[in-house]
Amino acid sequence: MDKAKMQRLELQRVVEMERPGQSLESEGLDAIEAVDEHLREGRFQRGLALLSGASSLLTGLEVGYEHYRGSYSRRVMYTPVALSLLLVAGAAAGFMSRRGARRVLRPIAALTLADGVLGFYFHLRGIARKPGGWRFPMTNMVMGPPVFAPLLFGISAYLGLIASYLRREDDADHPADDIAWIPRAAHEHHWTKALPGKRISKPETITLSQDLREGKFQKHMALAAAFAAFFSGFEAFYSHYKNNFRYKAQWTPVVLSPMLIAACIAAMRNRKPAHTWLPALSAAAVVDGGVGFFYHARGIFRRPGGRKHLLYNVLYGPPILAPLLFSACGMLGLLASLMRRES
Amino acid sequence: MNPLKKYLFNERNGNGHALGPIQEIDVPMRRFGEEEVDYVVIGVGSAGGVLLQRLARAGFRVLGLEAGPFWNTERDWVSDEAGSHNLYWEQLRITGGTHPLALGANNSGRGVGGGSVHWAAFTPRLHPSDFRIHSEDGVGIDWPMTYEELKPYYEQLELEMPVAGPAYYPWGDPHGYAYGPHPMGGAGDVLIQGCTKLGIGVSIGGPVAILSGSHGDRQHCIYRGFCIQACKVGAKASTLITHVPDALRSGAEIRDDSMVSRIHVNKENRVTGVSYFDVHGQEHFQRAKAVIVSGYAIETPRLLLNSACPGHENGLANSSDTVGRYLMAQAGNVVLGRFHDLVRIYKAPPAHALTEEFYETDSKRDFARGFAIQTVGPLPIAFAKQMMTAKGAWGWGLRRIMMDYNHWAAIALLGEILPWPENRVQLAEAKDRFGIPVAKVTFGLHDNDEKLIEFGKNKVIEVMGAAGAEEVVQETRFAHLVGAARMGTDPRTSVVDKYGRTHDVANLFVCDGSILPTQGSANPGLTIQALAARTGDYLIAQGESIFNTNHRDMMQPAIRRDLAPPGTYGRGVPRLANLTS
Repeated sequence: MDKAKMQRLELQRVVEMERPGQSLESEGLDAIEAVDEHLREGRFQRGLALLSGASSLLTGLEVGYEHYRGSYSRRVMYTPVALSLLLVAGAAAGFMSRRGARRVLRPIAALTLADGVLGFYFHLRGIARKPGGWRFPMTNMVMGPPVFAPLLFGISAYLGLIASYLRREDDADHPADDIAWIPRAAHEHHWTKALPGKRISKPETITLSQDLREGKFQKHMALAAAFAAFFSGFEAFYSHYKNNFRYKAQWTPVVLSPMLIAACIAAMRNRKPAHTWLPALSAAAVVDGGVGFFYHARGIFRRPGGRKHLLYNVLYGPPILAPLLFSACGMLGLLASLMRRES
Repeated sequence: MNPLKKYLFNERNGNGHALGPIQEIDVPMRRFGEEEVDYVVIGVGSAGGVLLQRLARAGFRVLGLEAGPFWNTERDWVSDEAGSHNLYWEQLRITGGTHPLALGANNSGRGVGGGSVHWAAFTPRLHPSDFRIHSEDGVGIDWPMTYEELKPYYEQLELEMPVAGPAYYPWGDPHGYAYGPHPMGGAGDVLIQGCTKLGIGVSIGGPVAILSGSHGDRQHCIYRGFCIQACKVGAKASTLITHVPDALRSGAEIRDDSMVSRIHVNKENRVTGVSYFDVHGQEHFQRAKAVIVSGYAIETPRLLLNSACPGHENGLANSSDTVGRYLMAQAGNVVLGRFHDLVRIYKAPPAHALTEEFYETDSKRDFARGFAIQTVGPLPIAFAKQMMTAKGAWGWGLRRIMMDYNHWAAIALLGEILPWPENRVQLAEAKDRFGIPVAKVTFGLHDNDEKLIEFGKNKVIEVMGAAGAEEVVQETRFAHLVGAARMGTDPRTSVVDKYGRTHDVANLFVCDGSILPTQGSANPGLTIQALAARTGDYLIAQGESIFNTNHRDMMQPAIRRDLAPPGTYGRGVPRLANLTS
């Protein structure tokens, strides 16, 4: 028996040991505890796929009208709209089946993530092309394409990517299906066999995906939440700056996001803030996003023409979906606080 | 230089000819010298620029003669009201009649790009009814073509400029626009508020040929408000930046500062070439197989009349005595309202919202045809002039009003004035510096026009009041100029046929605003360019037969979308029409 097979058997043993879900129903846990249990164990592929699809729909709508405002003047501007729709389909596939999650959702999510990075580049360049370019960063960031929006758009793709590595909610009932998808060491993949030289055979190469499978990625998720809060908070900062902070409530996301970022970083270093500050500030961000959504909607109706020219006023009024994306950052933080830490 | 840095930070090469902050074209261009060319296009403006581009791309040897300069936009344009006079045709012209037209700033152009350099770039289409107002309303004359014949060219030019506007435009033949709508300035907000209060529909953010997103090597609009002082940003479409660069790359030549004085016709009644004066006052003769006059509504008839010769004693191509007749301007009354809140009218393109709710003939009104209401954005000098006319403001009173400038909004009427034979361009006694007789323009209103203006003006005042203005005043004025070499099917009542070919001379064409038989209440720029693209397609389809025969083939040419400037497709709001074309 070679080394790889031994590793695999070892992994199987670990997986079986760490699955107390077998007795879940018999113990009569109620639904909330069951969800919590699922999260802790990384058995929420369907749920996260759903979340990824929903946030992708939001970002797709947002980028749809924001790029409409930019007149789709470059061909590449069609891609995020098309990809977010594809990602919704991919998330649906991931929701339906394990195979869909790995074979469909994963590549689409990876592609969408790459598109977010590409978009970041084009937005940087768009700012550079404005009069004065990066010599007037604040003016041109306020007036130019939203610099971090493409990366924020990547967050939903990131969620989809994570979902594709998770276990499914009902894996406890079908252990055989689950074990079939245990990640293999890198050198077992046939494409690495083609590489010359010494093959990698360290078991560490599979720890990340193994941890993901088991819901042990709290630090990872906290980092993602911190990034999302930074992107969204920065967007809120310069968009509200553009409006001269006319309403006091416009300060809330600007104040809240650094605090949330700090909580995320603390949660990465230490277990305790992950269960105290992180969920508290994340919940505050979720609520703040909801309030922001209300104010933004009100702002749209108050524009000249109000409800009568709704499409136009959504286009040029306060960005209606942006506060919801700030809420989504809070959701990420909440999710992180419910995970187990990396082994 | 590091290419990534150059790309990212948009550093220029510095060896091209600047047509905006990021657009440049390489000079020198092709030079034909004295040799015979296929086409001479006289006047490189809205129509001339498009024609040059189409013909050059199709492989013809084509030369554009332009009386004004070839602009280097970074150097020559100054974004200043007082400093922009060289954009207009300010050479001597005589004006008269019962309602004499002010000639200059808003109805003429000089220099490559012509009037499209300083137009506000409103680009509504004509309505289908505009093409048959005589059959429908018993006024004016019908066009020799239908809206459907021109429609593909409207769609095509809206992509080539491209035009920003709402996704759904409800009036006339409903359609949507390639680029997204613009954000509103103060005047637009006033128009929306007033119209919404009165239950009038309003089109927001266009249609206007100003980029709402970047387009290739052109920047998008930055809303600094100097549209009609020529757009240094390169966001506003002018043929100088949309069609001329591709024309030059395709092998056309443009001779700027070249004032054409006469078109020559031989004994076989065919055009042989043109005489022109260069910038030093030296006269040249340029041989051509065919000539297209694109000098706009005053210079085109002036040139034809000045080219009178044996066989054309009344002026070239003037056997019908309609050259110079049926000149039309549009009613352009500006209504100004003072608001308690700041409006800051200058902070937007002048053209960004309009309503065509009153465009069509309404049996409840006592006049035929209708009008549009549009935003305008007078800068301080124009505003001072309007206030002087509207309120008699002068001295300290004018100074106080000027200090109040930011509280005033302006919207304007754009009303259809019908074609009348006595509104015309003739030759005056006076001569210009080359010794060429100048134009004398006579203009007057008729009963229908006056009723329309009165009704329209009051409607605009009503909208301004409904928007909440504390004080409303108005200035009577006119905008645009079309007609004076109109097209038609009957050689006895028109100068050119529906492709712009003169009825009298087989290789002489007219293609510009002067061939419009009627004008509707739409700004003429888009229609002029659409007609030019259509004439271009016709000439290309006819090929050599234009040069060799007097045969007049009236077959409708197929639209040549492949001759559009590069980068026309694959951009803009996804629409089914885009995908299928």
